[in-house]
Amino acid sequence: MQVRIEHLTKKFGDAVAVSDFSMNFDDGKLVALLGPSGCGKSTTLNMLSGILPVTSGKIYFDDDDVTNTPPQDRGVGICFQNYALYPHMSVLENIAFPLEIKKVPKEERLAKAREMAKLVHVDMLLDRKPKELSGGQQQRVAIARALIKTPRLLLLDEPLSNLDARLRLEMREEIRRIQQETGVTTIFVTHDQEEAMSICDKIVLMKDGYLQQEDKPQTLYDDPHNLFVANFLGNPPINNLYGTIQNGRFVLEDGSASIKIDNPNAKEGEKVVMGIRAESVTISKSGDHDFEAVIKQRYTMGKEELAFLNIGNQVIRVYLSSDYTYDVGEKVFLNLRQKGVFLFDQETGERI
Amino acid sequence: MTAKKKKKREGGEFNNGLEPVIYLLPFVIGLLIFTVYPIINVVLMSFKEGYRLSGSFTGIGLKNYTQVLGDKNFANAVRNTFIYVFSVVPIATVLAVIIANLLNQKIKAMALFQTAYFLPMVTSSIAVGLSWRYMFNTQFGVINWLLGVFGAGPIDWLGATGGQAPYNIFVIIIFGIWNMLPFTIILLLSGLQNIDPMYYTAAKVDGADSGMIFRRITVPLLLPTIFLTMIINMISSFKVYNEVIPFWSGKAGALSNNLYTMVYYIKETFYSKLRLGNAAAASIVLFLIIFVFTMLQKWVQKKFDY
Amino acid sequence: MKGDNIKKFFIYFFLALGAIVMVFPFYWMISGALKTAAEYNSYPPVWVPSNWLNFDNFVRAFQKAPFQTYFLNSLLVTLCSVTLTGIVTILGAFAFSRLRFPGRELIFSFLLAFMMVPFEMMVITNYQTVTKMGIINTIPVLIVPFTTSIFYTYILKNFFDTIPDSLYYSARIDGASNWKYLWRIMVPIAKPSLVTIMLLNAISSWNSFLWTSMVINSDKYRTIPLGLFAFMTEGGSDPKLQLAASTVSVLPMIILFLFARKYIVNGVARGGLKG
Repeated sequence: MQVRIEHLTKKFGDAVAVSDFSMNFDDGKLVALLGPSGCGKSTTLNMLSGILPVTSGKIYFDDDDVTNTPPQDRGVGICFQNYALYPHMSVLENIAFPLEIKKVPKEERLAKAREMAKLVHVDMLLDRKPKELSGGQQQRVAIARALIKTPRLLLLDEPLSNLDARLRLEMREEIRRIQQETGVTTIFVTHDQEEAMSICDKIVLMKDGYLQQEDKPQTLYDDPHNLFVANFLGNPPINNLYGTIQNGRFVLEDGSASIKIDNPNAKEGEKVVMGIRAESVTISKSGDHDFEAVIKQRYTMGKEELAFLNIGNQVIRVYLSSDYTYDVGEKVFLNLRQKGVFLFDQETGERI
Repeated sequence: MTAKKKKKREGGEFNNGLEPVIYLLPFVIGLLIFTVYPIINVVLMSFKEGYRLSGSFTGIGLKNYTQVLGDKNFANAVRNTFIYVFSVVPIATVLAVIIANLLNQKIKAMALFQTAYFLPMVTSSIAVGLSWRYMFNTQFGVINWLLGVFGAGPIDWLGATGGQAPYNIFVIIIFGIWNMLPFTIILLLSGLQNIDPMYYTAAKVDGADSGMIFRRITVPLLLPTIFLTMIINMISSFKVYNEVIPFWSGKAGALSNNLYTMVYYIKETFYSKLRLGNAAAASIVLFLIIFVFTMLQKWVQKKFDY
Repeated sequence: MKGDNIKKFFIYFFLALGAIVMVFPFYWMISGALKTAAEYNSYPPVWVPSNWLNFDNFVRAFQKAPFQTYFLNSLLVTLCSVTLTGIVTILGAFAFSRLRFPGRELIFSFLLAFMMVPFEMMVITNYQTVTKMGIINTIPVLIVPFTTSIFYTYILKNFFDTIPDSLYYSARIDGASNWKYLWRIMVPIAKPSLVTIMLLNAISSWNSFLWTSMVINSDKYRTIPLGLFAFMTEGGSDPKLQLAASTVSVLPMIILFLFARKYIVNGVARGGLKG
């Protein structure tokens, strides 16, 4: 099912939680609503489920206008951050509960619940109570319960944030697998960019109630529309160098270095931020270079080594090449690749 | 906490239309008839002079209050009530602090001890009071026998020695303490169990002995609970009534009027003498006293964040 | 280690001593009820009745006054009160905790203010009200005025508040009505709180005296405490029979306590300081 929202707005009193938000969620895709806390992603999710009434705007499920449809008639399944399992019911009863409400005969609904349990791999835990399960298992049960009534849309609210790091990795792949096996259109809310990047068909990035950019994860990473998007995605975070455009060159704030830029939109004298992905910098000891820098600190991270460098009085994070050894305090030369280097307007944050 | 909770709920409720009315209806009907109306009515009644059961009255004024405050039975009732409250509550509290601390040790047969100490909470004062009545019997009572063993007594607990009945009030005080202990112990015990054992460990590491730990750690940390428990017990003891009933077969002491309590006075004035206006005024006075202590309770709760 | 043992000894010694004092009135009641006249009247007291199965006093007490009627009345009143108050409390607490309606917070703060008004203050008006309603001196007069309890509603509402919103949303999205959610999800989760409330209610209902003594004046509607009181004033002065009657009247509550001690103690510990 395709979900379409048009000019969706939500206000709590005077506070605007979601502002004029329009977009399409394509059929059968796994889409992440990503953003820092308070960006309106959960509010959007709650409006899609019908828990929250909208202030203005429209929500369509395929061609049905469901803006004012009560939650139970929308055909959505939802998983909450705390899983919301009913503590007094067994796993099987929990999963079967939505069908119990629909007055599906007992045999039938239990059979369906067992099938769902198998799908999410909790079929050996059917008689347990929620408090006897691990966080990951509870999450699986919650997903099974959300899926049992074959919803048109599956909503996951921060599904992984209550799990520890290892389980999180495991569960995010599970969510991907289950979503692909069932083919249900899925929207999941998260504040963790890595989570969103790793499993989603599409990411919708929000901030302060406004849509920032929606794209495939790689596109979002490779082609951010503004500084916020560039900063939010990627680990280590993108480097920000502050400077101005002078004579077709980017000049560092303190004037200590400059680089020729090939961007027709860059206006002379404009204050800009140069965003540079860590992997877009090559480091060497000699030869042609864009910048000179001094190594300030080094961090070994197993397979690679990361360093903080000073360029003038600004700091940049880069990967060290394993061809040489570098010492702290040593002067090195940096070259920028074409890819992964962006210019943004300092004032508006927009990409130039 | 509460602010956060409220915010989370904002708008997050479903539109239930008139449904809340259905859920609230039984509650609200009962509330209006048996709580709200009586509260308003008793205030009005206390200003109506010559008020009768039928609802007729002769005038409006403060006569009920002047009559009640001038009644020596009422003065006696207030005096007895205050003596009762301010002897039962402190003594019961001290005993409860000791017992709660003993019960808070690692001991075997906890269920047995708990049952023994908490049982009076569930049994009627009238029924167990009867047993106490015969224990207090001057000639055959087991209490005077025990005093005799130590060479004291016998004491005329229940009777009117020489037209006076000085020991009557001790009977209800002792009975009152016994009655109050279970509730008090439970509250203090739960207060003790809320003290983080880390404090005890830290003090032991610092070399404090158990007496020191009790005085410098247990008591100060338990103090808010002790205060609160005392106030709650005071509020409930101001309403002392049932404790008087079994010992003199419903009369207020051996002289029939020497052990008036405030609630006893209210009931007598209303039920036997049918002076409803006076009874209303007396119950307003009782409420005002309780109100002061309730405010004190709220203040303590707020101060110690209960 | 030796010091520890001495300390242990004193702890047990004082605990046992206190326990004996606390239990003694019950022992004296039951043993007195089982004593013969000679045993009862001897001094110094006879500590143990010679025949633990001497139920003469019970039989005679029941012959003199219809304690079986009192007992059944008490049972009826208690059961009805617990059921009715329970239902009214569940519905009210649910509305205050879960449903939104205008003035909810305001009404609730008024309720908390009403909670400090002693029942004794409302007795006079309630007496007039039940007289007008024509239920004075009937069984309902012991039940109806107590169906709305602010205190129990307050306790249950507080517990309901601890159940995460997401359970409600989940259930509603799955199509559960408020009614279904309340009885299928909330009430089962709140069972411990609910049991506590019902037990406290049962205890106070069984032991209620002041109100009962005002509104019941015919023998056939007397409850146990009232019947006992009448027995001690009208039924003759044989203490053994009075003790036998007392024993019968406290026994149900003692049994209830033995079975549900944890619920009652926890309930008092949790509700006590707030009330």
